[in-house]
Amino acid sequence: MKNNKVLILFLLLAAMSSCVDSTEKITQPDVSNDRKEMLTFWVEELILPSYAEFDKDLQAMVISAEEFTTNPTEASLSAFRTSWTEAYISWQNVEMYEVGPAEKYTLRSFYNIYPADVAGIQNNINSGTANLNLPSAYAQQGFPALDFLLNGVAAQDENILAFYQDSEKGAQRLSYVNVLVSRMNTLLDQVISDWKGTAKADFISRTGLDIGSSTASLVNAYVLYYERHVRSGKFGIPSGATIASAGTPNPDKVEAYYKKDISGKLAKTAQLAFSNFFNGIANGKQGPSLKSYLNSIDAKDPSTGKLLSEYINEQFSIIENLVEALSDDYYYQIETDNDAMVKVYQEMQKAVRILKVDMTSAMSITITYTDNDGD
Amino acid sequence: MMVTDLKTSFSSYLNQTSSAAALAVFRMMFGVLMMISMLRFWYKGWIFQLYIEPKHHFTFYGFEWIKPLGPYTYLLFIVAILSALLICIGLFYRGASMLFFLSFTYIELMDKTTYLNHYYFISLLSFLLIFLPANAYFSVDAWRKPSINSDKIPSWCTDSIRLLVVILYFYAGLAKLNSDWLFHALPMKIWLPAKNDIPLIGGLFNELWVAYLFSWIACLYDLSIAFLLLYKPTRKLAFLSVVTFHLLTSLLFPIGMFPYIMIGTAMIFFSTGFHHALIGKIAAILTISHSFLTPVRTYSFSKFQQNLATGGLLIFFSFQLLLPFRYLLYPGELFWTEEGYRFSWRVMLMEKMGAASFIVKDELGKTIEVDNKEFLTPQQEKMMATQPDMMLQYAHILKEHYEIAGFKNPEIYADTYVSLNGRIGKALIDPTVDLSKEKESFRPKYWILPFQDEIKGL
Repeated sequence: MKNNKVLILFLLLAAMSSCVDSTEKITQPDVSNDRKEMLTFWVEELILPSYAEFDKDLQAMVISAEEFTTNPTEASLSAFRTSWTEAYISWQNVEMYEVGPAEKYTLRSFYNIYPADVAGIQNNINSGTANLNLPSAYAQQGFPALDFLLNGVAAQDENILAFYQDSEKGAQRLSYVNVLVSRMNTLLDQVISDWKGTAKADFISRTGLDIGSSTASLVNAYVLYYERHVRSGKFGIPSGATIASAGTPNPDKVEAYYKKDISGKLAKTAQLAFSNFFNGIANGKQGPSLKSYLNSIDAKDPSTGKLLSEYINEQFSIIENLVEALSDDYYYQIETDNDAMVKVYQEMQKAVRILKVDMTSAMSITITYTDNDGD
Repeated sequence: MMVTDLKTSFSSYLNQTSSAAALAVFRMMFGVLMMISMLRFWYKGWIFQLYIEPKHHFTFYGFEWIKPLGPYTYLLFIVAILSALLICIGLFYRGASMLFFLSFTYIELMDKTTYLNHYYFISLLSFLLIFLPANAYFSVDAWRKPSINSDKIPSWCTDSIRLLVVILYFYAGLAKLNSDWLFHALPMKIWLPAKNDIPLIGGLFNELWVAYLFSWIACLYDLSIAFLLLYKPTRKLAFLSVVTFHLLTSLLFPIGMFPYIMIGTAMIFFSTGFHHALIGKIAAILTISHSFLTPVRTYSFSKFQQNLATGGLLIFFSFQLLLPFRYLLYPGELFWTEEGYRFSWRVMLMEKMGAASFIVKDELGKTIEVDNKEFLTPQQEKMMATQPDMMLQYAHILKEHYEIAGFKNPEIYADTYVSLNGRIGKALIDPTVDLSKEKESFRPKYWILPFQDEIKGL
């Protein structure tokens, strides 16, 4: 008895010290539980290419903004709007990566806090000396502020143009547009160059799962993003589905409120990017992902034998189907059939819980942000 | 006939004596480890973080009056540290062990968020020490009062510590005799891959068979180790496996001082020779005379003291043997309801995670969702989110708060979601029950929803 027991223990220890890398790892993408591979794939195939793609779209917006501010015409306004729309859609592919450099520069806070603070924007234009780094200025910049400035300063395009061609204040207004656009450009440059600097190697090297490790940080950022900025931001708050909004719809709080007809496209893009990240789908490639990691550690319900990743993907497709059926204009959607919006919120809430409780439990990750449903 | 036999053999056991060295070594080891534990706790900033910073605390049923003392909480730790020092050197021993038991237990009862089985173990050990003559040998007390200096004490004194260790390990092993642990390798299967980036051995943690092996070894280890320590021929190898096992677990899991306390405690099983040699070495360093070490005297209790102590210990140990089985009095799955889970040596037994949000409704139709972080620290929220009794306490904290905030007869509802050992999450609490109307008691909580699955075994 005793000898056997000790023998087992020693064999175990011996096995541990001898079994190093001698066995070759199978590199099928859906069975890897090597977190270093996963982190590498995330940075190289998802995060950096998404930023690069977004950067391209943002540069196009910078150029058309320049043309518009030097010569505000109907044509340049329309071109600016198009490039703004493209960049805003593209932004949905990177907003969830608020980890590492983006977390350091709090990119999202300066890029996409809505509804836009119209009074604040007008003050900033008049004073000409706004400090846009303050938390109180989050909603006075980024895509939502440009949404107001491009689509919301007047009802008709000619009046919008007149707003900028105004002999007295036009220059100030155009200058604010310039400030916002170049600020977005600068911030993104910082994030991208940090990623290309030491951040990438640092991210890949922190392979643990404790607080501060890359996987834990990213999963925290990923779930927080979905809970607060997709579930609540895009659906819960405007539809009044969150308890905090007490059932009263706030259609004026939809994303891209002034442009209106792109809120659906923005949300669909965000949802797709979110599920693609989960499944490790990047530009047609498939690589190590949360899904493959969960499968490789055999994360499944011991009662039903069903894989956790299946539960998650099923919930994603329920959500995708519901979102697909919505109007592209969420303001209109809320005014005509708000129940459909509420339903999306409820299904997203289920997804949040599976990700926040079941997935983190299966992965032994601690959720370090606490829920905050305020608006 | 049998009964009288038992009675005579018990009373002759009570008259048996053995060397006082083992208990003296245990006393010193205990004092040192306690000082280190408490200083480490302080150094890590946990006194502030766990007892002073939180706005609310989760008290124990029946001990609601035990709460942190604000800045005086530090004083409580100072008392515990100083009394541990006195225990270690054996000065004013009886008073010091009482003071340590009281201060340490007070600290542990302040907030059940921080409940740990090994803290409970320390409380029990220090309780036992109050009644044991651990200062009879190689102590400052014995130096000052040569009349108590004894190299022999009644055997039951050392044996009662051993018995507590036997109970701890054996019950921890019994708790592992369930289908999740043995036949699904849960939660080991979840916990090990998280460590697969440890150099050299990390790769093994990806293997399912390793999770099974660890589960079974841990179970067999817990069930048998105390007996292997008791049995002389296996003792040395058993101790070696104690060291290996606990160091391995400390490498894998964040369990603080526990492994060192268990390794230190296991020395109580060693032979007289070992303890005498150890004391001899310490005495040589302190240049203590040989005559102090060989008083050739047997410590004896008065008849009354002896009866009181042994009677008390019989009650104490019967209670220890029964308490972990109180869960049988509750319906439902123990891991799910946690009714009767604490104080039962269920150590690192399950992976449970939850999310709980609370909704406050009042008579005037006002409804809000509570922002938990306004009331609880992240650690408190995490523990609350899986434990029904904490949810109930929290509901009452909320009721009180919202009454003051102007809600008229607020009702508190819990929207909960809990995953246990990888089962897809579901609601733990009936969301239609107004928790503000429910009271804590030892009765089963009818508002805990059924588990809808079965974990077979103990």
